Amino acid sequence: MGELSKTALKTFENAGVEFGDYRAEERRSTTARVANERLQALSTVIRKGFSVRAFHKGAWGYSSGTTMTPAKVQEAAESAARIARANSAKKLPRSKLKGIKAVTKSAKPSFKIDPKDIGLDEKTGLAMTVCKAERIDPKIASTFAIYGDWDYSFEVANTAGTNVSWRELRARIGGQAVAAEGAKRDFAYDFHDGTGGYEIVKEVDPNELGAKISKDALELLKAKQAPSGLMTVIADPDISGLLAHEVMGHASEGDEITKRRSFLTDIVGRRVGSPLVTMYDDGTFPGAHGSIPFDNEGTPSHKTNIIDRGVYAGYMQSLETAGTLNAPLTGNGRAENYSRRIWVRMTNTYFAPGNDRYDELIKETKSGLLTHKAISGMEDPVGGGFQAVALMGYLVKNGEVGPAVRGMTLTGKALDILKSVDMASREFELTGGFCGKGEEDYVPVSSGGPYMRCKIIVGGG
Amino acid sequence: MDVLSLAGEGVRKAIAAGAEGAEAYVISYRTRSVYIEQDVAKVAEEREEAGIGLKVAVGKRVAFTSTSLEGERDVRMAAATAMKAVRMVPEDPDFSGFVAERVTGSVEKAHDAKTANTPVEGLVDMALQLTAASKVRKDISVPKGIFRVQDYDIRVANSVGADGTHRGTLVFLYFTTKSGTKTKAGEGIIKCLGTALDQQDFQAIGKRLGERSIANLEATALREKISGTVVLDPLDLGEMLIQSVGAAVNGEEVQRKRSPWQDKKGQQVASGEVTISDMPRLPAGLASSTVDDEGHPTADRPLVVNGTLHDFVKDHYNAVLLGGRAGNAVRRSVATVEGSYAKPAACSITNLVIEPGTQSLDELIAEVDKGVYVEKFAAPEVNPFSGAFALEVRNATLIHKGRLGRHIKYALLVGNVYDGLKNVVGIGKSLHPSHGFLTAPGCCYLPPMSFKGFELVGQS
Repeated sequence: MGELSKTALKTFENAGVEFGDYRAEERRSTTARVANERLQALSTVIRKGFSVRAFHKGAWGYSSGTTMTPAKVQEAAESAARIARANSAKKLPRSKLKGIKAVTKSAKPSFKIDPKDIGLDEKTGLAMTVCKAERIDPKIASTFAIYGDWDYSFEVANTAGTNVSWRELRARIGGQAVAAEGAKRDFAYDFHDGTGGYEIVKEVDPNELGAKISKDALELLKAKQAPSGLMTVIADPDISGLLAHEVMGHASEGDEITKRRSFLTDIVGRRVGSPLVTMYDDGTFPGAHGSIPFDNEGTPSHKTNIIDRGVYAGYMQSLETAGTLNAPLTGNGRAENYSRRIWVRMTNTYFAPGNDRYDELIKETKSGLLTHKAISGMEDPVGGGFQAVALMGYLVKNGEVGPAVRGMTLTGKALDILKSVDMASREFELTGGFCGKGEEDYVPVSSGGPYMRCKIIVGGG
Repeated sequence: MDVLSLAGEGVRKAIAAGAEGAEAYVISYRTRSVYIEQDVAKVAEEREEAGIGLKVAVGKRVAFTSTSLEGERDVRMAAATAMKAVRMVPEDPDFSGFVAERVTGSVEKAHDAKTANTPVEGLVDMALQLTAASKVRKDISVPKGIFRVQDYDIRVANSVGADGTHRGTLVFLYFTTKSGTKTKAGEGIIKCLGTALDQQDFQAIGKRLGERSIANLEATALREKISGTVVLDPLDLGEMLIQSVGAAVNGEEVQRKRSPWQDKKGQQVASGEVTISDMPRLPAGLASSTVDDEGHPTADRPLVVNGTLHDFVKDHYNAVLLGGRAGNAVRRSVATVEGSYAKPAACSITNLVIEPGTQSLDELIAEVDKGVYVEKFAAPEVNPFSGAFALEVRNATLIHKGRLGRHIKYALLVGNVYDGLKNVVGIGKSLHPSHGFLTAPGCCYLPPMSFKGFELVGQS
């Protein structure tokens, strides 16, 4: 254990608080942005600091800083303890931190090529190649590509005896093209990412990636408005992933349960979907963007079964929610960085693949809509409503994929949608991204699933 | 140590390391936050951080690096990292150097000393006051509330003589309420921003929050399709306009041929009643400052005058390419300045201001024969290139013959922002701040507005 963590824990002991922890981070990242075949920005970031928090009689006090000296850490720990004690005097309902097991371990990331061994010229060049490859047609008005890698180191120690350290590596390559014709203008994007080293982006054919992005953008120029109303939708892995993540995932976060803010409160054991629906949050998924060896409380990551063949199975937990709900720890106590608080957060959240083939889903659909990629989604833990925006889609008629339609909004009650699932493909994908809790606190995650056929309300925009 | 002095130090160290030009942005900030969970102040925080963003140039090669700041050693390391990077990047033939201006002065009420000096214990009391005020009915609780205050100091300096400072405070509130029973719940959400605690009326915010959750609880699903007048609350409309108009008037988007308004200067892009300006010197403005984040003096700028597109916002790079004045290089979000040193300055709106009209919200509603008043969407997202949207309403009320009727949910508002701006039928008289995604720079000050041409689609 380092001197700084010892200082923090000793300060908590002296302050007489029930529990305290110390986390230190160093975050290094490189980003190269290329726009219209010119380097727009090459930036490297180093961000390091610590956070301390104290728990006392149901209240938390946090403090953090970037000056990593024993004096500053002690001052911050005293401040955190003072805040927790002051708040606990307001007689809060007692939440619990019982049964915390000490974990002492360090973990190394799995990778083939360390991004720090690759020159900035090569990283910039990769983004440039994607950007140039997007220029496949005079109607492509604007091109853009981005390369990024992230190298994070963590240390967590707490008064229960935990002392863990680990390193996380991530990389990403992606692009966006804008196509224009007369007054019409639309865009498309794609990217590849994951946990691991430079091999994640090296395995991608940059020319193929760029051309594919622009092909979608050009297709959108010709696309018609999507129909509106309740209809059969074949949700692609991006959209089924958003359904898993935004509605079922956020509403399964343990803190939404202890606050009784989730429509899934007290629902364990009840049917919430068709028997084809099985869902997990899995922080151990090899190579996925949201995978973590430990959460920011030092709990090892876990594969948590949320829905088992249509029946609701359980929630994701932090130290506090697991104690309060008397549930096992799941390794979901995460924070955006050292200057943000810990919440219950997802990792890789997905519906498990089914037994049908993608071709069979299409063939057996008389009339419907096939979605293609997502733009965004929004949580609704209270109401259980689903809202996602798809980049584009295709009409499906008599078992065949037809013309493209423009981006659309997909909405409805999540449980109605899940109960209507009647086919799920063997084909399965995860898509990486960053997830906020409400409007803040972005952490790396992924979401995904199979192609799922179900009933969704569509609003063609 | 005077952290802000490290801006000049950063420039000197970069030049000493071989840079031909350099620009440094240093920010130091303190954050105090309170998180309400189930009506109690569950988490309280005090945090502080400082960081530097350093841009260096050698010929036409440019690189940016940033680091959190403990002391001078970090500045030395940042300069070395930036110099290593700049030798490995391709040239940008359009790079035109750095801004050579010295900026003095401050914007009125951008900083509030009382807010800056309020301890976290004081914020706890205010958050609990708001929570108590939301309980307009027994079944209402506040499952989640975030209340944050930040005070910050910025200095921007470069190797050709630019040197400016800015001091500000930010207040951010995001609260939710829940009403109803275990089987049927309604949710109210409210978000407020400002530069001083005195700008927030905690009693009024709490009451409105409680009423929103009751309205959401009582709302029934819309079955039909309604084409009429749509009155939009400023908070979500502001987000829609930041994503669409904010991008359309952005010089970087114009230069990159991504803006739908790139060839429309001098043309009608909105109804004659619509005038939009970028106002970085707006008193008490969330994004106000006399100096932009690359050291250029700021100035208010009309963008759309009586419906006609007049100008675009530009940073130094895009001002050189497109012609006209710079002053719109921005790094920080208006909801939090956290981590802003880690971003290179980018061309952006600051305070996008929609000129107010003369009518109150009640008068706007009274003029509607058939339509809807929307207070909150699930997420007010707009396609910035096409302007298209289809948004799920969370808090909305039907209007019939000038009166508010039943609350509705499970409906989509479908339309296009750029078309909607040409069909504005009413503009309210009171300005409210709104911001986009948390990390996006800039904000919008606007009144409630009425539009024709949007469609409300129910579940049928």
